[in-house]
Amino acid sequence: METPKPLESNLISKLTKLATQKRIEYWDIRVAFSSGTLLEFTNGKNKEISYSNIKGTGIRAFVNGGWGFSVKQNISDSSIIEGLNEAIKLAHYAERYSKFKFKIREYDLIRDKYTTKLKTPLKDVDIEQKIDFTLQIEKDAHDFDPRVINTNSLYTDGIINSLLINSFGSSIEQFTSILRIFSIVYAKENGNLQGNFESIGGVGGYELTKKADKIGIKSAKKAIKLLSAKPVKGGKFTVIMDPKLTGVFIHEAFGHACEADLVIAKESILEEKLGEKVASENISIIDDPTPSNLSLFGSYKFDDEGIAAKPVQLVENGDLKTYLHDLESASRMNVSPNGHGRASSYSSKPQARMGVTYLKEHDWKLNEMIEDTKNGVLCENWKYGYTNPATGNFQFKTRNCYKIENGEKTELMRDVGLSGLILEILNRVSAIGNKVEFSDGICGKGGQRIRNCTGGPYLRIEDVVMGGLQ
Amino acid sequence: MTINNNFPKENNVLFNRGKFGLRITEKFDKVKCSEIYIQKTECFAIGLEKNSIKDCNKSESCGFSVRVFDKRGSLGFAYANDISRKIIEKTINNAVKMMKAGPPNDEFKDLPFTKKSNSKITGIYDKNIKDLEFERPFDLIKDMIKTSSEDSQVVTQSGDFSSLYTYYYVFNSNGIEISSEETAASLTSSILVKNNRKNETGNGFHWQIERKYKDLDAIEVVNKTLQMAKMNLNRIKIETMNVPLVLTPKGVISLILNPIASAINAETFQYNRSFLVGKLNQKIGSDLLNIEDNGLINGAVGSSEFDAEGVPCQNKKIFENGVFLSLLHNSFTAGKDNVESTGNAQRNSFSSTPNIGSTNLFFNPGDCKMQELFEDIKIGILLDYTGDSPNIATGDFSGLILNGNVIRNGEIQESLNETMIGINLLDLFNRIEKVSNKLEGYGSKNAPYVKISNVQISGSK
Repeated sequence: METPKPLESNLISKLTKLATQKRIEYWDIRVAFSSGTLLEFTNGKNKEISYSNIKGTGIRAFVNGGWGFSVKQNISDSSIIEGLNEAIKLAHYAERYSKFKFKIREYDLIRDKYTTKLKTPLKDVDIEQKIDFTLQIEKDAHDFDPRVINTNSLYTDGIINSLLINSFGSSIEQFTSILRIFSIVYAKENGNLQGNFESIGGVGGYELTKKADKIGIKSAKKAIKLLSAKPVKGGKFTVIMDPKLTGVFIHEAFGHACEADLVIAKESILEEKLGEKVASENISIIDDPTPSNLSLFGSYKFDDEGIAAKPVQLVENGDLKTYLHDLESASRMNVSPNGHGRASSYSSKPQARMGVTYLKEHDWKLNEMIEDTKNGVLCENWKYGYTNPATGNFQFKTRNCYKIENGEKTELMRDVGLSGLILEILNRVSAIGNKVEFSDGICGKGGQRIRNCTGGPYLRIEDVVMGGLQ
Repeated sequence: MTINNNFPKENNVLFNRGKFGLRITEKFDKVKCSEIYIQKTECFAIGLEKNSIKDCNKSESCGFSVRVFDKRGSLGFAYANDISRKIIEKTINNAVKMMKAGPPNDEFKDLPFTKKSNSKITGIYDKNIKDLEFERPFDLIKDMIKTSSEDSQVVTQSGDFSSLYTYYYVFNSNGIEISSEETAASLTSSILVKNNRKNETGNGFHWQIERKYKDLDAIEVVNKTLQMAKMNLNRIKIETMNVPLVLTPKGVISLILNPIASAINAETFQYNRSFLVGKLNQKIGSDLLNIEDNGLINGAVGSSEFDAEGVPCQNKKIFENGVFLSLLHNSFTAGKDNVESTGNAQRNSFSSTPNIGSTNLFFNPGDCKMQELFEDIKIGILLDYTGDSPNIATGDFSGLILNGNVIRNGEIQESLNETMIGINLLDLFNRIEKVSNKLEGYGSKNAPYVKISNVQISGSK
């Protein structure tokens, strides 16, 4: 696959001259080439086997509170110059009508190159091998139990070669390799139909498939288990969330409210709460997208504005410490950017986004937590969840739950929804588990879908409103 | 069909490159049938944040995708956003490689054959959108800012204007050769209001999508958003109860039309993932449940002459007097069921294979005046918006009411906090008691107010 070449210095001087002449205060150009494979099988049959090849550039210009953005497919020098001209024109239009005037704060230029650490490059693996691997997941799920009535297995991988340059003089080349696998299984018994889905993903090479070795069996096993689950009766309970649910809960209910662009737009309940107590004493929440040997799906070395990723402590011992920033929000709030300006691709503008968000572990073991609970519910995994960041109202659908009666796990239940107000509920945490686990996901905001990780330990919360069908 | 020679020259490049691609696919012995979808889009958007213009964005894209099938039914698919001859050839080679490597699918019959459309759809293209001057939509955004600024309860508004021009061709080896030139423009608004006396905030949103620029009404969009946001103030917690429920058109779309659109998708249905499986031609709802999918309305957002595979769009009755009559098909699911495609193949862009979607979905109006819907309700619930969606496999729904109110003695009163609703959709369909005589449209979905006789509501009081 092609790789974007660093722009020639005489093109950069042309762009700089153009921007200066037109009173542009900041500009950046992102060029990317990407290619990928998607394999999808259902009931053992070929649904889609595809190969993609996409390239293009996204060009931003900024002046005094107004942004212009232009997307071009053609990445020739003349097209880039035309794109910058267009972005400049649009920025001036936006500036003319914009009420809020501010500057983008300059930071030190970065010139760097980063390549995903991996063992087996995706291009070294034949399509036949990827197909066999995915079909095995299909077979594992289908053969698990005669009550399995529909299986769906997906394999998707991609490589992105990108280049970012900006008016500070930064120039960053990144090579990113990602992979994700899904297994969706439906099971039916006596008219009762239940579905389950499992996914595994990461930033790395084909070696990541090892993590998904038994994903078909795991997914089918859970779908079958759900057949015997009973619908739940609503009420107020002590709830223990498993690491998957804790992670997504922290992401949806708290993480989004930490995104500084929402804070500036007055759409976050955490506005003007910096330094205040927002959660129980032992709660610490961190977003750390720095690449590690865990190859986490939400990790990256530099964000899409060329700022290096680093651990960002959002909450420390219950106090709100900072927000997640992109270049604009950091400038407007007069702080340093912290590496969270992310875009779904070259064709979208960076926004303040999460990367790898997790709640830090403490000292409880799961069995102690259960034994210590008189009347409660242990909730595992999630189907979906959402929060209104302006009011803090949240709702989560869990995959399955167990009743806890006098310190013992009893009946299995399904279709349980948890709801409440985020600032109230984080103050009712009564136990934090001793081990963090991570899950991968895709997060949507403003029409952009980006890769993400959430994590946390088992977490016990008192007095949670649970809704069900009865 | 014949190509209109008035199209811009550039579009003839699309035509020529599409034809070029199709000819290449036909050179491969192993390819039983093939299809080229080639598309050009142009978008323009203005973003609104904190009731002020923040950014202007313009993007263009042009790309194509190829589907090739062999005799075993194996599908190879590939796409690229470069329509140079070199890349077209390379991409087709990749698709053929994928096809050869894939496992068979005996459920695949064939790609569609040429079929004449009986209707000529007009009003889906507006030159004012295609040739939109940057300056023009600022007036709409300025109207949005002005209208919301005049209201003292407004804390902030965000939203956007966006316009889209699409031009595409579909060619297949069975003789299909169609093209369509379409436009759409939209306004969205999301407003936060505050009741200073109670230090309480409420929010609302509204949107409008039209084929023609002149149909956009910024003031109306903001007024509707404001109305929703203000109704979200004065929130109370209520007790658990079993009471009548009135769904607003937005509520009908999220609780009835969207779930039905998913449940009648023939693919979901064939894989037994729909709660409507086994219920075709049965009466499963009240006489007032009348739903149709009509892709042939002039000027409507969901209309077009042909679907994304080149099959003519249709008008279909989905529910009539509560009887479930029809599914939505593309050519693959139709072939599997040995029926004709209903013309519901859709593509988000050249980068996706044709999936199935509704065109213009209508919950048909009843004969009830608005006042009559509410008048005999002593205590009940009005539901405008929930972020939850039903489980399509089982029809079970349990959700949090984000925007909803208490109805007392026929009057809409306080807004709800921490209130959940739970019901199976089949029960909901049977309990439809009254339907208003007026519809409201949100893009391609159109719905009236609907009264459900009784529903379980879980309060937190």
